[in-house]
Amino acid sequence: MKRTMLTGAAALAAAALTLTACSGGDDTAGGGGDTGDASNVDTITLAGWSLATTPEFQVLADAYNEQNPDVTVELQEYDATEYDTQMIADLAAGSAPDMYVLKNLKNFVTYEDGGQLLDLSDIEVSDEVNGVDAYTVDGATYAIPYRQDAWYLYYNKDLFDQAGIDYPDGSWTWDDYAATAEELTEALGGDALGTYQHSWQSTLQGFANAQDPDADVLSGEWEYLVPWYERIVELQDAGAQMDFGAVTTNSVTYQSQFGTQQAAMMPMGSWYVATLLAQQDSGDAEEFNWGFAPAPQLDASTTENPVTFADPTGIGINPAVDADVAAAAKDFLAFVASEDAASALAEIGITPAITNDGVTETYFSIEGVPTDELSQFAFSTHDVRPENPVSADTATLQNILSDAHSAILSGTVSPADGIAEAMDRAQSEVLG
Amino acid sequence: MATVTLDRPGTSPAPVLRQDPRRGRKLAARIALYVAMIIAAAAIMLPFFWMVTSSLKTNNQVFSVPIQWLPDPVVWRNYLDIWAKADMLTWVKNTLILSVSVTFLQVLTGSFAAYGFSKLRFPGRDVLFLTYVATIAVPWQAYMIPQFIMLSKVGLSNTLWSILALQTFSAFGVFLMKQYYESIPEELSEAARIDGLSEYSIWRKIVLPLSGPAVATLTLLTFVNTWNDYLGPLIYLRDRDIWTIQIGLKSFVSQYNAEYALIMTGSVISVLPIALIFMLGQRYFVQGIATAGLKG
Amino acid sequence: MATTAVDAPAAPAPPPRRNRSRLTLRNTFIGWTFILPNFIGFAVLTLVPVITLFYLAFTSWNAFGQANWIGLENFQRLLTDGTFHTALINTGYYAVLHIPLTLAVSLGLALLLNHKMRGIAFFRTVAFFPYITSIVAIAVVWNMLFSPDSGPINQFLMALGIDNPPGWTTSATWSMPAVVLTSVWREMGYYMLLFLAGLQAIPRELYEAARVDGAHAIQRFWNVTVPSLRPTTFFVTVILTIQSFKVLDLILVMTDGGPGTSTLVLAQYIYRKGFEENDFGYASAVAVVLFFICLGLTVVQFLLNKRKEV
Repeated sequence: MKRTMLTGAAALAAAALTLTACSGGDDTAGGGGDTGDASNVDTITLAGWSLATTPEFQVLADAYNEQNPDVTVELQEYDATEYDTQMIADLAAGSAPDMYVLKNLKNFVTYEDGGQLLDLSDIEVSDEVNGVDAYTVDGATYAIPYRQDAWYLYYNKDLFDQAGIDYPDGSWTWDDYAATAEELTEALGGDALGTYQHSWQSTLQGFANAQDPDADVLSGEWEYLVPWYERIVELQDAGAQMDFGAVTTNSVTYQSQFGTQQAAMMPMGSWYVATLLAQQDSGDAEEFNWGFAPAPQLDASTTENPVTFADPTGIGINPAVDADVAAAAKDFLAFVASEDAASALAEIGITPAITNDGVTETYFSIEGVPTDELSQFAFSTHDVRPENPVSADTATLQNILSDAHSAILSGTVSPADGIAEAMDRAQSEVLG
Repeated sequence: MATVTLDRPGTSPAPVLRQDPRRGRKLAARIALYVAMIIAAAAIMLPFFWMVTSSLKTNNQVFSVPIQWLPDPVVWRNYLDIWAKADMLTWVKNTLILSVSVTFLQVLTGSFAAYGFSKLRFPGRDVLFLTYVATIAVPWQAYMIPQFIMLSKVGLSNTLWSILALQTFSAFGVFLMKQYYESIPEELSEAARIDGLSEYSIWRKIVLPLSGPAVATLTLLTFVNTWNDYLGPLIYLRDRDIWTIQIGLKSFVSQYNAEYALIMTGSVISVLPIALIFMLGQRYFVQGIATAGLKG
Repeated sequence: MATTAVDAPAAPAPPPRRNRSRLTLRNTFIGWTFILPNFIGFAVLTLVPVITLFYLAFTSWNAFGQANWIGLENFQRLLTDGTFHTALINTGYYAVLHIPLTLAVSLGLALLLNHKMRGIAFFRTVAFFPYITSIVAIAVVWNMLFSPDSGPINQFLMALGIDNPPGWTTSATWSMPAVVLTSVWREMGYYMLLFLAGLQAIPRELYEAARVDGAHAIQRFWNVTVPSLRPTTFFVTVILTIQSFKVLDLILVMTDGGPGTSTLVLAQYIYRKGFEENDFGYASAVAVVLFFICLGLTVVQFLLNKRKEV
């Protein structure tokens, strides 16, 4: 009895594996989509997340449909936080849509290496489009970016006025920023803290990796991070920045810290512009004057073209689609890389992958967006680098650095020891 | 309050003459017990209390330093918004359909199988049972993808059937029922066997009716687990019109913002039916019921 | 397992062999008819994927396409993977604290709430509430209670004269105890319910007989409650052990494995390796190790339970 049961189960398992095996891979369209005829297709599907609150996908679909009335881009909804889990499952089972957004650049390699992205090198993309490099592996492009965020320094003009301190002028280094945060804290006397850096790993490591000349995440040599951590630990100790433990134990959100005037400054991504406007509109955030400046720099040499970071967001094509659909999808992606698409996105407050003068003008014509010169400069002029290099080891190394981040900021270890520990782990688990 | 209590304080025999002071002491002890239990209850309910007050706040007030226990101003609007802004009604309906049918099937097949494992002896039984229990030890995330591929190939993904299939045949139910059956005296089924009842009749007429508390427990726990399941529906249910409450509430979290006040509103609404069902179901835990008919 | 009864209908004298094997055959047949409706679903939906998982543990697989057989490579890697060892130790630490505490608290609650008394429905529901309260709310409130400077727990400790109270979830030393306390609180109602059901099955006559014999409350507990509750205790211990080794949800929302790796557990490590680092073969190998730990402990509990039965 036992034996027959096990034999039966083994047979079923073998069957399940056969299903697994034939589900993946490039068994249809393959690399050469140019044989397909897009005119045979009237609907292509695109994955997005939280559609009710994330209008960008519908905006792209509608703008495309306006120019190409014969083709409808249909959206499929995914979860915002578990997007990649759902997408991996769908691709593995062969039930994914024709096109999907690469929500997190650090997972791009999962899809690319797993053969889940069509080669898009034949789509013409202008040089104005930022972020294409991040999706290029060995000369082939696998996704077309439609938005390219950038991290800025947000500041509350009212609180600066109250403290009698000058606004950021676009020339700040991190040391200037830290000094101002301490001055603000003192001058505001308990009404608000000088700055708020959210508990994320990227809030600190993203800048360090983008700006530090010694930075190389993949090398596993991370000594360059130590001074960056020392600076933030000092800010915490001086009381100019909320303690990491207080942030995590109270589940503090950055929207409430800046939006309800608990902090006078906050380094944060460009997406927060639209969020803050919406929250001020709905009453979740208070009404106050604010602006955004370029992110502080490591030294003065880069103030002309400030270095900042943020991952691009791009769209790729599921290789399981047939040649006709692939052709139609490529036509859509060519549109996504155009200035028309960029303007449509800028209209709803999104930072598109193209930020030329026309797009900048559209963006700053949104009601409520601060129109001072420095904000405009921060939006249009910067050298934005991806948060992480694209490599099979990135996710593992990032996880190790994330553990170091929480260990150091919670005060469990000193910056030097925490980084040394992380380097040991990287050597023994990934690089060694 | 003439009841059989196992460990009531002060049940040691006392002289008859001191009856009155003893009664006074007992009353005092009882009051003290109630006061202690009410304080403990309040402490236990603290997170739930926070959930309720958060549902009456604005989003940016939900998390604040220091914690804000009472909402100011009180935002009743959330309780209207959640029905208008979201398909709460659809989510409740789907969750209810799933919870009821999963619970019914799990209790039925689980208690049936448990009889085979507990009252019949045949070769391979214990190994088979151990296999059942051992699979509980494998984290679902680890075999989620192979399982999803399998169910997708037969067209079950993105339908309510997938969750029904996933949740119904759990080893947990079989294990729970089997353990309970073991405490039912063997003489009962023995007598029935001599009377010529088939094993199926013994299960239906004798063992099942005596298993009230176990059936009630399994019903409650299965219902709650299906009601609150998050990862299963997340992977399998994609279309808006088949979402459950837990998935629906997650849609209030978007990439750059989250409507925490609405999430807490939805959570409060979602807990109430379960609390009600629990209140009703716990009636079956009255000591002695199961054995009341045993003597004879 | 009290199953000697199956042989009982036989004649007083030992039955001839043929009869016996016919009886076994009949019992096997009837047994399977009981088990089958559940077993078919279980085998197809759980057993097959689990067996697939065992196969995947010996492969390199990225969830898409073919899994490549690499033999024992994943398991060799586990031997030198420091983070895996940390997760293993953390999981064991969690289980060692969590299992006895939860057993004691939930059994205590069940005994307390097994009385007939006014408002019992209310108190039972309250005890069960932590289990149904949104886990996000639980994490938020407990994290706040544990807050090192402003949290009520530390303020209470300081009032008691403890100058340097623990940092709880912000400290690598105390984060695990903090998580254990929260999860005991969360799950006590769940296991209480299982114990309550078990307590119902104890014949009232046993207590009355013990009382007549002059046994006091503590003796009645040890001589009547504990032995009669054994099937339930066995069930609860097995489930509790397995669930403790599989712990994930609460840790994810409370500490996300931190600070550092101080609360990183095996289930989270499996998720990280699989879905974050796209190494499903290696994740499966970790799952297999977790499986064998649980299986080993379950078999031990089975054997202990069997021996006590005899």
